[in-house]
Amino acid sequence: MRTVSKDRILAGVTLLPSILLVGIFVYGFIGNTFWTSLTDWGGVGALSENPEKNYVGFYNYKDLFVGFLSSGFRQDLVNAIFYSVFLLIGAIGVGLFIAILLDNKPKAEGFFRTVFLYPMSLSFIVTGTIWRWLLAPSGGVNVLPTYVGAEPFNFRWLSSTQSILQFDWQNILSFAFNVISIVLIVIGLWLLGKRSKHAAKWLVAGIVIGILVYLFGDMLPKALIMEEKHGFNLATTGIILATIWQYSGYTMALYLAGFTGISQDLRDAAMLDGASTFNYYRHIAIPLIQPITISAIIILSHISLKMFDLIFAMTGPDNGQTGHPALNMYLTTFRANDFARGAAIAMLLFFLAALFIIPYLISSYRNKDERA
Amino acid sequence: MARVELEKVFKRYGSFETVHGIDLAIKDNEFVVLVGPSGCGKSTILRMIAGLEEISDGTMRIGDRVVNDIDPKSRNVAMVFQNYALYPHKNVFDNMGFSLKMAGLSRNEIKEKVEQAAKVLELTPYLDRKPAALSGGQRQRVAMGRAIVRDPDVFLFDEPLSNLDAQLRTQMRMELKKLHIKMKTTTIYVTHDQVEAMTLADRIVVIKDGTIHQVGTPIEVFEKPKTVFVAKFIGNPPTNIMAGQVAEQGGAKGILCENGMFLPFPHETALEIGRKVLAGIRPDAIAAEEAVNKFSPAWQYDVQVLFSEIVGGQSLLEFDINGTSMVAELDGRHKVDPGTTLKLGFDLDRLFVFDPETNLALDW
Repeated sequence: MRTVSKDRILAGVTLLPSILLVGIFVYGFIGNTFWTSLTDWGGVGALSENPEKNYVGFYNYKDLFVGFLSSGFRQDLVNAIFYSVFLLIGAIGVGLFIAILLDNKPKAEGFFRTVFLYPMSLSFIVTGTIWRWLLAPSGGVNVLPTYVGAEPFNFRWLSSTQSILQFDWQNILSFAFNVISIVLIVIGLWLLGKRSKHAAKWLVAGIVIGILVYLFGDMLPKALIMEEKHGFNLATTGIILATIWQYSGYTMALYLAGFTGISQDLRDAAMLDGASTFNYYRHIAIPLIQPITISAIIILSHISLKMFDLIFAMTGPDNGQTGHPALNMYLTTFRANDFARGAAIAMLLFFLAALFIIPYLISSYRNKDERA
Repeated sequence: MARVELEKVFKRYGSFETVHGIDLAIKDNEFVVLVGPSGCGKSTILRMIAGLEEISDGTMRIGDRVVNDIDPKSRNVAMVFQNYALYPHKNVFDNMGFSLKMAGLSRNEIKEKVEQAAKVLELTPYLDRKPAALSGGQRQRVAMGRAIVRDPDVFLFDEPLSNLDAQLRTQMRMELKKLHIKMKTTTIYVTHDQVEAMTLADRIVVIKDGTIHQVGTPIEVFEKPKTVFVAKFIGNPPTNIMAGQVAEQGGAKGILCENGMFLPFPHETALEIGRKVLAGIRPDAIAAEEAVNKFSPAWQYDVQVLFSEIVGGQSLLEFDINGTSMVAELDGRHKVDPGTTLKLGFDLDRLFVFDPETNLALDW
């Protein structure tokens, strides 16, 4: 009994410094940021020795979403969502594709692996600068077709002002409910395919929400007093391309490690079972390394939510077309000295990241418990 | 169901040759066991039949087709792997039904075939389970189920029982044999365990260093080994081998061993006096106590016991005869103190004679 308690004291003492440091510098500061976001710290006198801070509740958050003058932040948020979605699809798709090619042991596999992983080692500032040159309106990528005698492209990768897939922020509530309904139905259909008994619950919930929004959507309160269009700004394509270029090597390495870990016998068994190479990856290899896909989604999505330096290097901090909440937070806080509002943006980004990470942590702990 | 024929089949990895031009004809419905020590090339041969390894040279036929350049999936062979190679993310049903799904069968057909195979293998209660939730024996059965649902021309087994404990191995071995009797599919089975080979095979193929030493029924391989290696590898404990030469003693022709022991030939032979030979005698061809009297005095020898152990109903006796140690496998329980002198009878009707240069059995 005595030795156990001694062990516990020792363990506690050993852990104490890190608990204290993490407690203060991570969780304490998160708390402080949250508190700041609930005040009106900013504007004139924000930098004074004893700045005036008054509690204003969730005013800053409300203003970001429905405030008349916050349309810039809202576009940044929309950018961030598109950016995350395309980065995930692009980096995972390209990484998986290269990993499959390398998994089939071509000649000089090691060389190619290094080549594809190399972009990971570059700083975002370097990547950003290179790609800014490559995507310049009259250089780099745009002049490629002239080498084969064709007309040059004239797509403005980083400076286009076009926007597609637009929606009206005024109707954000009904839009959000529609998205929820579609997500529920998709999950329901997926479960149905797997013959799960829970499929019906998801489908019914999704369909009910969908019908309700369709019938009574007009009765939902409007977010704004007037129309405000947001969509996918084509100027962000260049940034998305550069990020995919930098991260697909990383996802390739993750997938390749996963594929290499699959026993040759399983592949042989699949081949004897009549699976083509495509079917082997579709039915055996990719489902087997699902945990890797999940890790890649988590890692990439929070990288995309924190994206700052690449955008800074490629289009500068003030480009309204290619803005990102992280840049907006920096500018709001340190250029406009609007600390409370900056803190509110920071907290929103924190919650968005948590939205991805918490389900992952819960499921991985649950798996660990099951295994134990 | 089909014949399998290998003609001068070679396997080379770069300049390194592992299989040296083997010839083997396996009949329809036959259960053939490839047996040999680790690294002898038996698994490579099996993988070449499956199509998982390319053939460097030679011809391979399954049925009437030359399959040298045919994909594994088009050969209609099914294989059971040593570690079962079950798909860990699929349940038993999906594991067994995967090949049918790939073949484009409808859900109902798959269900019917899988359930039928599950019934044969007593897997019906486990169809919803993942492999991780099954015992070793059940996994082994799933691996077999996965093979039989396809109704293949040839079954290939790559040491399928070596991951099981001894008791389960014996049980599964019998089930495998019963399954073969029921299904009558041509089966090629690789193992390094000679007990499995002896019990399962219609014919045994003994392989060493990528060449076939002998093909024959279990009894042939046991009683008429064609090489010294076969005599030593098949049978446990291995055959006692002694060097000597053909000589005449007291008017009888026989083998005078280097240790001075004389083994008279049981019948007339044309082997000339002075010829160097290797004599082989199986441990179970040696008898003790009353059983000794079955043999003529010329077949009886006084030996000194080195060690004895009782293995269930039989005993193993290690003894010394003129400085050479040999092993006898005796019926009944014999606990003999080391150092005791004992009279043993050698059944020289079962004497093996090999050429010491080529290690091949002599025709005598």
